[in-house]
Amino acid sequence: MPKREIEGDWVMGWPDRKRATLAAGKDAEGRVISGRTPVLDQEGLITPTDNYYIVTQLDLPEPVHPDDWSLSIGGEVERTLTLTLEDLRKLPGRSVRAVTECAGNDEGFFDYERRGAPKPSRRYVPDLDRRASMKAKRATPTHDELAGEMGNTCAMSGGEFTGVPLAAVLERAGLKPDGQWIWLKGFDTGRPDPAVQYRSMGRADVKIDDPGMIHYDKALPLAKALDPDTLLAWAQNGEWMLHVHGAPVRCIVPGWSGNWWVKWLSHIEVTREMPPCYHQTKYFVYGAAPEDPVKPMLTAMGVRCIITFPVDEDGPLERGSHAIRGLAWSGLGGIARVEVSVDGGATWHDAHIEEPRERWLWVRWSHLWHAEQPGSYRIMARATDVAGRVQPQTPWNYQRKHFDGIVPSDIVVV
Amino acid sequence: MQTTIGNIGKPSNAACGRCGHNASREINSDRLLAWILQRASARTSHRFEQIDPAVRIAVLIKQVPNPDALAAVMRVDERACRIELPPGHPLVASPFDEQALEAALRLRDQRGAEVKISAITLGPDSAKAVLKQALALGADDAVHIQDAALSEPDSHTSAHALAAAVRKLGGVDLVLTGRQAADRDAGVVALGVAEILQLPAVTFACAIEAAAGALRVDRVLPDGIETVEVALPALVTVSNELGAVRKPNLRETMRAARKPIALWSAADLALAPAQLVAKAMRTGLFVPRKTAQCEVIEGATPAERGAALARRLHAAGLI
Repeated sequence: MPKREIEGDWVMGWPDRKRATLAAGKDAEGRVISGRTPVLDQEGLITPTDNYYIVTQLDLPEPVHPDDWSLSIGGEVERTLTLTLEDLRKLPGRSVRAVTECAGNDEGFFDYERRGAPKPSRRYVPDLDRRASMKAKRATPTHDELAGEMGNTCAMSGGEFTGVPLAAVLERAGLKPDGQWIWLKGFDTGRPDPAVQYRSMGRADVKIDDPGMIHYDKALPLAKALDPDTLLAWAQNGEWMLHVHGAPVRCIVPGWSGNWWVKWLSHIEVTREMPPCYHQTKYFVYGAAPEDPVKPMLTAMGVRCIITFPVDEDGPLERGSHAIRGLAWSGLGGIARVEVSVDGGATWHDAHIEEPRERWLWVRWSHLWHAEQPGSYRIMARATDVAGRVQPQTPWNYQRKHFDGIVPSDIVVV
Repeated sequence: MQTTIGNIGKPSNAACGRCGHNASREINSDRLLAWILQRASARTSHRFEQIDPAVRIAVLIKQVPNPDALAAVMRVDERACRIELPPGHPLVASPFDEQALEAALRLRDQRGAEVKISAITLGPDSAKAVLKQALALGADDAVHIQDAALSEPDSHTSAHALAAAVRKLGGVDLVLTGRQAADRDAGVVALGVAEILQLPAVTFACAIEAAAGALRVDRVLPDGIETVEVALPALVTVSNELGAVRKPNLRETMRAARKPIALWSAADLALAPAQLVAKAMRTGLFVPRKTAQCEVIEGATPAERGAALARRLHAAGLI
């Protein structure tokens, strides 16, 4: 079997490996407004900033000069504050390494597991340019388009974020005893695109509430807001936060899905009751059906484990030793164990979890597989977190959020 | 040169995936064929088998703004008759020229190492990137033509410079290039090179094969494929129907770093002053203003309005 060629390119004037790049969707002016991480082609734990996934619910705002930006804090506080970026940077800072994952990441695997739908592939992400074009026209995907969609994938990245704990800012403002919710508001605006929810549900026959033009907002429960790792961040991966990722300041909520990581932050209001944030109550929710009266909001992610090698497209493999590799992470922080099966789940073996093993960042794991006999193999991996949770944790829900099932790789050995 | 024409397979009329050009437009095959035949009869030729020790192919490659980029990011300066690119806009090899290189590589796949490929480009410092790409894909050497006197070449000066480079290389049996550059779409430089070098030119190739002692070229026609046999030396322009181009692999890219890139000036090419003077000057460049006029078709009944509409469309030559 011929050896696979490594693709080459010129990087900084030198012959080098071709870099994996973001699968990007652009607006009519050529600006990137969405992106998916080439997660199978990444090494290490930190996703390069220009490969970090991008999902936005509303329209990307025009950039604000850092010197013109300020953050107001009001509501149930002793002192209403207005802080500039420099004010924030004078507070005791903190860097946190964490996985950012879209709530709808790998949604298509729900249907693969539950309904026998074709297996999605992390090698083939959706046509984001087409989605961007549809968004501009507020076009509704047809039944056939929805049926042909393999679902959102590769909306997961790992990064280092530098900022100040949200708790430090709230402490400076002085929380009143009745303050229970920390309402985070971005300066981005827009009208929610119903096609996003149609794709999430896989159907377009449901009436979508239209709130008109809104700001993106979410309201954090107080306990999570006071977690010292919940940050107001102005830097990512050692450099200033990019506009497309939420500059000047983005909220970092480790363990909770990306919709909590409010970008382009401009206002914080402390409230007694949960405010009626559109996305918190209408979209990023669980529930068995659109008609379900009980739709709890999404919070912490489940426990996850993905195989990065081999995936189906890597086969066939030659007989011999192969390192099965992957990533594992948990919404409650910390991976305790990763197990691998090469016989479809009949037997499991502990994988080696590589250092470092940080609380909020994913871990790399590997398992040396001696594939001595030709044949078809179903390789599976499952993770257990420090809270004792074994995947899968999240049941099917009508918006297909927080998928954390076990996705096998079907590999032929020759 | 022998020519056979037949509907061997209808070429795709789909637009090129990278630049949107329709492959089959603007082809006046009869006139071109007559011209090719006339040119070919006037030439002394030789065949692949008669070349010793190697067949030398020169591939002309132009660096252009990435045609995949949205037109909206570019601005037209009507006063200066220029297209202004945003800072950092990526520059790439013209996709048609990439296919010309692919055609050269396929010929080498057929013939083996006896086929030597030289890549030639004309342009500023940045243009060296397309040569490095060509070398990484398998070209053996490369020529970068760069000179202040050629900083804004028109088709005339480009053709003279490129032809002089081919001549200076010496022993070139086949010149390949894209059917047009993906930025200006003029499609005349290649034929200018053929004229200057007194080479027969075959245009719009979708397949090139060295067989039976001649070069056999399939040409794209609006409704089929024309097969042309041409003796060497010759020039062939390549169309996007050639198919997917290969990607550079790491080993060849590393090897490419040790391959030579010659830097030739106008003086190196012994270009005469008259050959450096543009013969054509761009006097206007603008995006057409779109105007819409609404005309209400009158009529007492739907049938009358329908008939009036049909008459109006007929009068406008639309039906």
